[in-house]
Formats: sequence, structure tokens, C-alpha cells
Amino acid sequence: MTGDFLALLERSPFVPVSGVGAGPTPVQATTVFAFHCAEGVVIAGDHRATAGNIIFSDRTEKILELDSHSLLAIAGVPATAFEMARTLQTAFEFYRRSQLQPMTLPAKLRALSKLLRDNLPATLQGVGAVAPIFAGVESRQPEAKPMIYFYDPLGAQFEAAAFAGSGSGSGAIKSVLHYLENWGKPRPAELPLAEAVVLANRLLITAAEFDSATGGVHPEAQEFATIKLLSPRGTRTITHEEQGRFWKDSHRD
Amino acid sequence: MIEEPYRWLEAIANRREYIGDRLKSGTPVFALARPEGILLLGVGQGQSKVFEIYDRHAFAALGHPVDIEKIRQAAIEAAHLEGFARSPRDVTLRRLISFSLSSTLKNAFEQIFAPPLIVEALFAELGDSPALDSLVRVHYDGDHHYETSGVLVAHNEPQPEAEARDWIRSVLQPSDSLMHAAGVCLVAWQALTGKTPLAGLSVPRKPGLQVSGKVVEAALLDRQAPGPVHYRALDLK
Repeated sequence: MTGDFLALLERSPFVPVSGVGAGPTPVQATTVFAFHCAEGVVIAGDHRATAGNIIFSDRTEKILELDSHSLLAIAGVPATAFEMARTLQTAFEFYRRSQLQPMTLPAKLRALSKLLRDNLPATLQGVGAVAPIFAGVESRQPEAKPMIYFYDPLGAQFEAAAFAGSGSGSGAIKSVLHYLENWGKPRPAELPLAEAVVLANRLLITAAEFDSATGGVHPEAQEFATIKLLSPRGTRTITHEEQGRFWKDSHRD
Repeated sequence: MIEEPYRWLEAIANRREYIGDRLKSGTPVFALARPEGILLLGVGQGQSKVFEIYDRHAFAALGHPVDIEKIRQAAIEAAHLEGFARSPRDVTLRRLISFSLSSTLKNAFEQIFAPPLIVEALFAELGDSPALDSLVRVHYDGDHHYETSGVLVAHNEPQPEAEARDWIRSVLQPSDSLMHAAGVCLVAWQALTGKTPLAGLSVPRKPGLQVSGKVVEAALLDRQAPGPVHYRALDLK
């Protein structure tokens, strides 16, 4: 008994992720990013999913909790990405429960990498590419530092020193974060949570200005980004009410 | 041999005797539906008696450690495949026991040329309120019953087991704290393992939460847990 849920799936009739033939224009989801702040890692995403020039949805949740100590931000084809997230959620919990210990961070990273590599046929056909960001922290080390990793659609994994972004609107966001990281006072990594949350919303509004596939963030209408915090204690969702309060406080003057 | 009914019945009877004998050294485990959630408690050597199965499901057992592990793994695999194929809310104890575990246990018990599974177990499923909690007592031969009183004990002898269940039900109030409920279980555990009659036994105002030389394993399927995972180990120190 290895605690390997994917091996268990191979013995069952369910197939989690596989390549599919070319079909209609796939739905895509865009602009997710993560950066270090004073309290851990802030990971955020917009709400828009598009199919070509069609806005498919403005209520898509792209920041997914895999378990109490890891988060996945998805960019690419949601059908594949959601299935990957669901597979990982089950695989991590299955391992923790069956082996009576949580999976280590490197093992979680490998699990995501393997899913991406297994998705290669769909990626090559242009109908199932996913380029996610993973944020995780070792759950058995109370002083461990939360880490950010990003992947290419083939499964290569890279550690992000300060920030990572993925999706069509991430170019603008990465440019701003690079500027702030080098010349900002304070740098994003020094920001308290409230200011980091406001920054995340502003970044998404900026991205939406230049990328039609990014959207769904309108603070004036109390519509905020999906934002989660990963700290050594685990994950926490920053609710829209909290974000509204932070936004209001920062725009008081 | 199996072509001869009498020989088969004799083999089954011998098997019951053998399993009963092997279970004698086992100590009881408890499950209590409380306002805070479902409390599970056993006394063992660390992680050996009380286990998480799925988001709202837990398991406690006595018996051979290898067989406990087999049942635990079978339950975890069945629950995760079901939760993955459908949804976590579709994982129910009724389906898990009826369609997966009970038949596995029955088959293992009746295949007289193979070693039996030496396990007495209880399973718990957290509902939205104590009235909706499910507690199931599962025996080594696959026989099982649903307990509706909110108190379930698994032990190696049916009569003391029933007495302990009734006694715990009579001394516990819904307003009692979780720690008090755990202490009451430990009073019952001491009585059952020491073969002391439970009738008339009084509960100290602050019952002890430790057993000398042993590890008290306790867990709560927490009704107020913020996420999907409701199981958490309780530290009684």
C-alpha cells in the first residue's frame, strides 16, 4: 500500500485526465498570480473564462485549495485544470489518510508535474493546455516558508523567488511586480496582508485594461478577485467582505 | 469438506471460537454523537485504534493490527474512489458498509481455508446535527447494525459491551463538555478491561483523561470545522 491514489485509479474504471481529439474552440481561463507578502504568499486570480472572443463566464474560481497547506492557481483550459485540481485534492487527502502522514511539498510538486506530463497529448493538440501556479508549505514544519512554483504546460517546474504569473493577462502584472520588487518602497514582500490584497486587486484591474480575457474584478460594485493567503499555519480565503474593507480603508484619503 | 454441511458448520463454529479467543486481549473503543460532533476514543499505542476515513467519516476498532489495517485501507480506498467519481457528499456510511466492507468481512469469515479477519469495529459519519449522525457497529463476520442512541461501544464480549453503552448513555448529558464525555468513556474503558460491573458506578466530577502506560487516542468529527475535512485528533493532555 503506497498511498498512491493515481495507482488506485488505474485499477478502477475512472480516468482522471486524458488527451482528447481536436474539437471546438476550448474555454480558457486567464490571469492568476502569486507573490510573497509579509504574512506569507498571496495568490490571486480574476473571474473571466473565454472561448475565442466570447466571454464564457465572469464568475470562474481559479484559485483552488488542494489541501490545508497547498493552493493551485489555474490558467489554461478549465476542463483540464479543474480535473487536475480534483485529482490532486483526492490524491493528497488519500495519501494523508492512508499513510497517516501528510505528503511532503516535493512530492506534491511531483504529483502536479506528472499530471501535466500525462496531459501532453491534449496540450500538443491545443485543446487542453494548462500552465498552473502552485503555492505550498511543508505542513510538518511550523517555521517553514511558503513557496511559489510555476509550471510550463509540459510539466517543467520552476521555483519563483518573489512572484509568478500565468495566463494572458499576466504579462502586465509580472511587469508591475518586477518593478515593485526592485524599486518599490515598500516591496510587495514587505506589505501587510491588507495592502497586499489591495495591490492584488489593482493588478488585476490593470491587467484587464490591456487583456480582454481578464475580468470580473470591479471593486466599485463589490466584485473582488479570488484571493487566498498561504502562511505557515495553512491556507485562508480572503473573503469579498474583507477585501471590500481593505479596499475602502486604502481609498479613504 | 465444504460439500458436507455439518463439517462446514463445525468449521464455522471453530472459526468463531478462534476469533473470539484472539479478540480477548483487545480493549474497547467508543463513539459518541455530541453537540460538537462525534467523539471517538480508544486506548492504544499512538495511531492504532482511531482513524480518519474520509471528510466526515471515521473508524475505530479492536483486533489484530494487520486486520485493522486491511479494513482501514479498504474503507479509505472505497470512500476516495466514490468521492472522486461522484462527490464527497455521495460518500455515505450506509453504502460504504453495505456494498463494500460488510461483504468483504463476510467473505473473509466464510472462506474457511483462508485466515479470518480478526476485527471488531465501529464506524461514524458526521451529520448536520447529532440526530443525523450515523454510528455503525461492524462485526468480524460482516454483521452490522446502526446505533440510534448516539452512543456506541465495540468490545470483545456482547453483554459487557451493551452494558457499557447503556451506562454511558445514562450518565452523560448533552450539556456535558467533550472532555467530560471522553473521561466517562475512560471510566467505562477501565471498568470493561478490569471486568468491573458498570451498574452503580459513579463518574468523578472531573474524570481522568490518561491511562498509565498507554496512549489515549481520541478524535472529533468536528461539526464546526471550517473546511471539508471534519476529522481532527484531540489532545487530552
